[in-house]
Amino acid sequence: MQLTLANHPITDLQFGSPTRLEGTVLIADPAELRRLVLTDGSIIGVDFDIVRPGEPCRAGPVFDIIEPRAKEPGAGTDFPGILGAPFTAGLGTTHVLSGAAVSVLAEISPDLTRSATGRVLEMSGAPIEASDYAALRHLIVIPHTKAGLARQAIEKVYRVAGLRVAVALAQSALNHLAAEQNTFQSVGPGESSHEGLPRVAYIGQIFSRQRKPAVDEPILYGANTDGMLPIMLHPDEWLDGAVVPSLHSWFGGTETYFYQNHPIILDLYRRHHAREINFVGTIATIAGSDNFDRDRHCRAAANLVKWNLQADGAVLSKYGGGLPHADLAETARLLENMGIRTAVMVSDVSRDRRVESALLFNVPEVDAIVYNGGNDTKWQVPRLDRIIAATPEFTELLAGPMTIDAANIVGVTNQQGASRMRAIVY
Amino acid sequence: MQIAHYLNQFFGGVGAEEHAAMGLEIRDGAVGPGKVLESSLDGARVALTFVCGDNYAVERQDELTAAVLKKLREVNVDLFFAGPCFDAGRYGMAAGAIGRAVQAELGIPVVTAMSEENPGVDLYRDSLYIIDSGTNVTKLRDVVAKMAALGKKLSASEPIGLPAEEGYLRRGWLRDQLVEKKAAIRLVDMLLTKMKGEAFESEMPATSFAPVPIPAAVSDLSKAKVMLITDGGLVPKGNPDRIEGTAATRWGSYNVEGRDDLRAEDYEVSHGGYDTRFVQEDPDRLVPLDAMREMEKNGIIGKLHNEFISTCGRSNPLSNTRRLGREIAEKIKRDGVDAVILTST
Repeated sequence: MQLTLANHPITDLQFGSPTRLEGTVLIADPAELRRLVLTDGSIIGVDFDIVRPGEPCRAGPVFDIIEPRAKEPGAGTDFPGILGAPFTAGLGTTHVLSGAAVSVLAEISPDLTRSATGRVLEMSGAPIEASDYAALRHLIVIPHTKAGLARQAIEKVYRVAGLRVAVALAQSALNHLAAEQNTFQSVGPGESSHEGLPRVAYIGQIFSRQRKPAVDEPILYGANTDGMLPIMLHPDEWLDGAVVPSLHSWFGGTETYFYQNHPIILDLYRRHHAREINFVGTIATIAGSDNFDRDRHCRAAANLVKWNLQADGAVLSKYGGGLPHADLAETARLLENMGIRTAVMVSDVSRDRRVESALLFNVPEVDAIVYNGGNDTKWQVPRLDRIIAATPEFTELLAGPMTIDAANIVGVTNQQGASRMRAIVY
Repeated sequence: MQIAHYLNQFFGGVGAEEHAAMGLEIRDGAVGPGKVLESSLDGARVALTFVCGDNYAVERQDELTAAVLKKLREVNVDLFFAGPCFDAGRYGMAAGAIGRAVQAELGIPVVTAMSEENPGVDLYRDSLYIIDSGTNVTKLRDVVAKMAALGKKLSASEPIGLPAEEGYLRRGWLRDQLVEKKAAIRLVDMLLTKMKGEAFESEMPATSFAPVPIPAAVSDLSKAKVMLITDGGLVPKGNPDRIEGTAATRWGSYNVEGRDDLRAEDYEVSHGGYDTRFVQEDPDRLVPLDAMREMEKNGIIGKLHNEFISTCGRSNPLSNTRRLGREIAEKIKRDGVDAVILTST
């Protein structure tokens, strides 16, 4: 398996007709994109907007952020299992409009117990240095769904609409020469070119069974993960659309964009290319809902890393809220006891800012912990004239001035490794 | 800048252990280590020095603290220092207690210094800046210089650096900081360092907790009064106690007298951390009143207490849950409950 990313850097995004790429300027045709989005009968209308880095504007609640990417014809399916047949992702050439994003806004709040406004895209002011998303040119997509849909049906509609628009934009690059082409070097447990280097694997949780997934919830190749055991994935599958966030996860700091640009996988690739390590592969797993579930998943994940990938070391990341910390730590403990060294990345759970509240596990073997922060960072953001939201109520809620928690700025408390916000012990 | 300083009888120049019983003496000006403080702080003056015997200080800690506070209310002081105490346990305990009171009640910045093993450290590290003095008294000049530097920053409300930068003992708190490297890179860095067998620094130390002793078994369940408690957030419709769905600060007790099961229409769930649909369908799945009533009828338990208690455990910090636990324990003791079944989610 070998993925080539054909990169087309985007320096500006404008409305126009038809949708096309002019040099580094991406032109999006709202009428054309509207027709595409409205092919979903659950959507009765859709609005589009454009935001650029540094513009004093705020958009939310953000359901998802996606990098526009499209497969070269014959190279496979875009978002296989969701937008098309579940062909293997990660093969052939995928065109990337780097510097651009498709950001879907919701008409509903993600989780009222935490925040009515959900995660917000802030394009100016103090928060921008903490989120990569502030540096992108966003095509904002605001689907309006018909009345009476169940929550997960609405979320599914958002997911599909966002992916479709992202692919349609990137298809404008298919007949253009890419500024650069990056082909990832071959990886895998039997890869002979990196023999003798430390064998390193990645284990990523892609769902947490704190909530049962909807029957048609697309997560892994369009499947909802119900009943799944940990599975080996080639790193290129993650980068090329095999995995998307679960539907009700838009509070968890996981966006499609950082599966496509997975910070952990890309860093492992970087070191593989530098011949620092032998990147042997990845495991996708889920966090269980009870102890049997947890034991099954953790053991299977550890066994795959030990016997199939034959790794010397593994990095682990979690999904969702508090409970997945237990699965993360148990998997790492099993690996350590098999002689495989581990480092884990966790999210900030210390609400009283005490170290004693910082970890949800107490496992001596799990001694290498990267700690994402965010629980005591708030920004005072000003009133802005330009607020982009799906409803007048959200426009009013987001207008400011207000104090906004770090976790409510999309990208700041990311769980895929993109965050630079650390909690420091003092 | 006006400084006040607390010393024990030894550093106050009175004498060693044989003077440990001496009461509080308040002297004008600097004494012993206070003179080093003055020389480390340009233009600062030690206005007052409190000297007290170690035994007196721990035996009559409240009295001593009150006397120090009373005196400080009469004068204008910008900074308060205590010690350095090195590994002197009683001295550390007194310095910590007085320091915490001065800081909390008078709003005067406080710096003390102890060795990591001093029992005062565990008690006061979360409230005070305690410079790591080590145990070697001959290092007094260096230690006092660090105390002075930190005190100066505190009184100027300057940002305080990390323990290693300022020389204080880790306080057990977290603060956010934007760092240059993304978490992914730090994660792989840490793993590779660990794999090489080199020293690596975890971003979070392991926490250790004192074990909770298992209480004695209920001797005869058929005579026991049993109660149901949950942290799964089940509340009567309308959530009368406004129990928060995240990091709840409140708990409620709800009467179930005369009922054999909990009906969906009477309850809701205030909890955002698990899939609540199944409990919402049938609250007995979380608070098994139906099963407990059967056990009551069959004589397996003596009596089911006529209330259940509920709170929400989601993302709840320990400082909060300890209080909730204490309050709940007090109530169930009052109610004469013999055994509790805790259901969690």
